[in-house]
Amino acid sequence: MNTTNSNTNITLLARSAPYGSDAAKLCLDISIAAAVFEQTVTYIFLDDGVYQVLNNQDSSAINSKALGKGLEALSLYGIEKLYADEDSLRERNLSLNQLLPQVELVSAEAIKIFISQSKSVMTL
Amino acid sequence: MTSLHTINKTPSSADLQSCAKFLSEGDAILFLEDGVYYSTDTKKWPVLLPSTKIYGLEEDFLARGLSKTIDNQIELIDFARFVQLSCEHHKIVSWL
Repeated sequence: MNTTNSNTNITLLARSAPYGSDAAKLCLDISIAAAVFEQTVTYIFLDDGVYQVLNNQDSSAINSKALGKGLEALSLYGIEKLYADEDSLRERNLSLNQLLPQVELVSAEAIKIFISQSKSVMTL
Repeated sequence: MTSLHTINKTPSSADLQSCAKFLSEGDAILFLEDGVYYSTDTKKWPVLLPSTKIYGLEEDFLARGLSKTIDNQIELIDFARFVQLSCEHHKIVSWL
């Protein structure tokens, strides 16, 4: 764990459900801005934030831009992997096969290490 | 690297529960703004690391009428000490 995370500059903890507020969209904007400036971003979905990475989102139904599409495009900016807190999924009766393909489940212990080793941490 | 975790919302946010899951040795928690209402029912707190220091911003306790009933786990601090704590930790994690 130590070697893989040691060069993480920014850890983003996305904790809000999408669409109800602009927090999820802002978090995505921050990740892109940071990646454009060549920061290493670790993007973690936590608590209600795991709703952001559900697949099959069709936000045209509410005239919003699809957040999932934006998250899928992050690989263009070098953010290949997205992480979701496994406890948050379990508490919401969700499973990995309901999520975007690039999402990987992580334990609380792993997130703790991401937070501890990252230069800065932002929650939204 | 240690973190200063700040919590600024009432207990219905469950921010302390989320924060507690990810505490490392040497981390500290600071209750400020509406986060000070966490002081009214410490029995509902999640398990924290024994080493975790807990602080509260005195101004916010005074403003909300909570300064008299403060639990002795919480050390009240002023803004100068807040600045000092910010410097003593490698980063701040604001649970928003």
